[in-house]
Amino acid sequence: MFSKILIANRGEIALRIIRACKELGIPTVAVYSTVDENALHTVFADEAVCIGPPPSNESYLNPVRIISAAEITGADAIHPGYGFLAENPNFAEMCESCDIRFIGPSAEVIRRMGDKSEAKLAMKEAGVPVVPGSDGVVSSVEEAIRVARDIGYPVMLKAVAGGGGKGMRIVRDEENMENSFMMASAEAEAAFGNPGLYIEKYIESPRHIEIQLLGDNYGNIIHLGERECSIQRRHQKLIEEAPSPIVTPEIRAQMGEVAVKGAAHVGYRSAGTIEFLMDAQGNFYFMEMNTRIQVEHPVTEMVYNVDLIKEQIRIAAGERLDISQDEIQPVGHAIECRINAEDPLNNFIPSPGKIEYFHMPGGPGVRVDTHAYSSYMVPPFYDSLVAKLIVHARNRKEAIRRLRRSLDEFIIEGIKTTIPFHKYVINTPEFQEGNFDTHFIENIYDTQKVKEIIES
Amino acid sequence: MNIQEIRQLIRIVEKSGIDELELEEEGRKIRIRKNQNNVVVATPQNGTNVTYAMPTPAPPPQTPTAPAPASSGEGEATTDSDKYYEVRSPMVGTFYRAPAPDAAPYVEVGDMVSPGQTLCIIEAMKLMNEIQSEVSGKIAKILVENAQPVEYNQVLFLIEKV
Repeated sequence: MFSKILIANRGEIALRIIRACKELGIPTVAVYSTVDENALHTVFADEAVCIGPPPSNESYLNPVRIISAAEITGADAIHPGYGFLAENPNFAEMCESCDIRFIGPSAEVIRRMGDKSEAKLAMKEAGVPVVPGSDGVVSSVEEAIRVARDIGYPVMLKAVAGGGGKGMRIVRDEENMENSFMMASAEAEAAFGNPGLYIEKYIESPRHIEIQLLGDNYGNIIHLGERECSIQRRHQKLIEEAPSPIVTPEIRAQMGEVAVKGAAHVGYRSAGTIEFLMDAQGNFYFMEMNTRIQVEHPVTEMVYNVDLIKEQIRIAAGERLDISQDEIQPVGHAIECRINAEDPLNNFIPSPGKIEYFHMPGGPGVRVDTHAYSSYMVPPFYDSLVAKLIVHARNRKEAIRRLRRSLDEFIIEGIKTTIPFHKYVINTPEFQEGNFDTHFIENIYDTQKVKEIIES
Repeated sequence: MNIQEIRQLIRIVEKSGIDELELEEEGRKIRIRKNQNNVVVATPQNGTNVTYAMPTPAPPPQTPTAPAPASSGEGEATTDSDKYYEVRSPMVGTFYRAPAPDAAPYVEVGDMVSPGQTLCIIEAMKLMNEIQSEVSGKIAKILVENAQPVEYNQVLFLIEKV
């Protein structure tokens, strides 16, 4: 087992990792930028090293500073958390070459699965259903039309070098293909310096359902069921739950088996998640793989009674996975709300500043993962996540009641937060019925209703 | 930004109703904040905080703003930022006083140094980084020991301004 673990992260996830280390009896090192001097993770850890000024590229995103901190404290392993350097294959490689264990999969796997087209190819090889599309770049309008005829409209034109919604166009029928192709190509050239496009089938009303995986260094891989993550705004998840209200035990077994097959094919180890898009007919397609622990991991932990961070640490230290697939049975229902320092009445504009008063909910089945406290200054330099509120109950209906109750008890004063927004969403009939897809938030969002909640 | 310009800025802030002014220019940043009877000038880059006591026009007749007692107790001279310039570590690593284990240290207490002169080495990931002085002055105190681990912003030297 490791003699000391350095946590290359901040905020609630740094605390989360420190907690797992404490329970395993492993000393911890926190790293922090000057603005995080009074952050809880520096207090909870056994040692803390200041690594730089506030900008991420000079602190939390800086491999040299982080590895130097590991060297001077004698840490023999680094847990990268999520975000920052968690999926940076160069960082993983640097750690290993400095004799520091990177808690996660190998640099090779991170690199491969981080490349969208390589990942898709790898999954295809493994027999995992992928979104039908072109085999790489489509070089002409004629070829685009041919491919689209093959897979069926509607299709999406996507930039090969792209991301963030740029260079993407939905094409609903053949007569619009030529025009859309030219425009998407030009946009891609302007945004990424590469006009190359590929085509994918456009899935209408998709649900985002992902499978949690755990693999050890000996080839044992299990899945821990699914998480429903369709409640998103601008591709950022806001509310997640396990199990998904529409996944039956049969579908779970099927998706799980497919995900394990995909992970095994690339030699995956540690914790990871395969994200699928599910269409209205219940067909699911590989979207991407996240080779790290995720923000929403607590809902899986509550329902499967497992500590995913401890498992990551054990696996990285060379222990065999001691959970068998048959033991994995969901118990009850868990829902998580991501509470961000954002103004829901003002286009979710970030709202950093001092939290004057902070009171977390408690009681049965309530878990809060947070680094915030009364008088804490939320800095403007990092993401806006202030707290994760997770509830667990015997069934979904009870979980929603418990969530409503806990949101009412959650007091954060001094900054704007998305608590009123969550209260609004969970009261909609669609949410209560489990009847939503990834367009849900953009379709139903009503500033006026949220305002009423704030004023009441 | 030279000292004349800084003096002018301080006068502007002091006379105006401005409480805080931050100016960034060509990668250098300066922040001037009014603190009742004092005007605090901070340049976040090197972490220097210099407090000038400005003569205020007719201060309100109440208890004078006595500075909070220095936490270290001993330290009026050593932490008096009017007198000393703090050399802070720009990185995380191991501090070395000399270029090699058997070589003479770069500087000793009492040495005069000038801008650009190497004061020490900080080693990180097997790479040696020379840390240079940004000011002229005399080495008043060396606050870390040879081969000691240092973190970002940790004070390494106090240089007495001359």
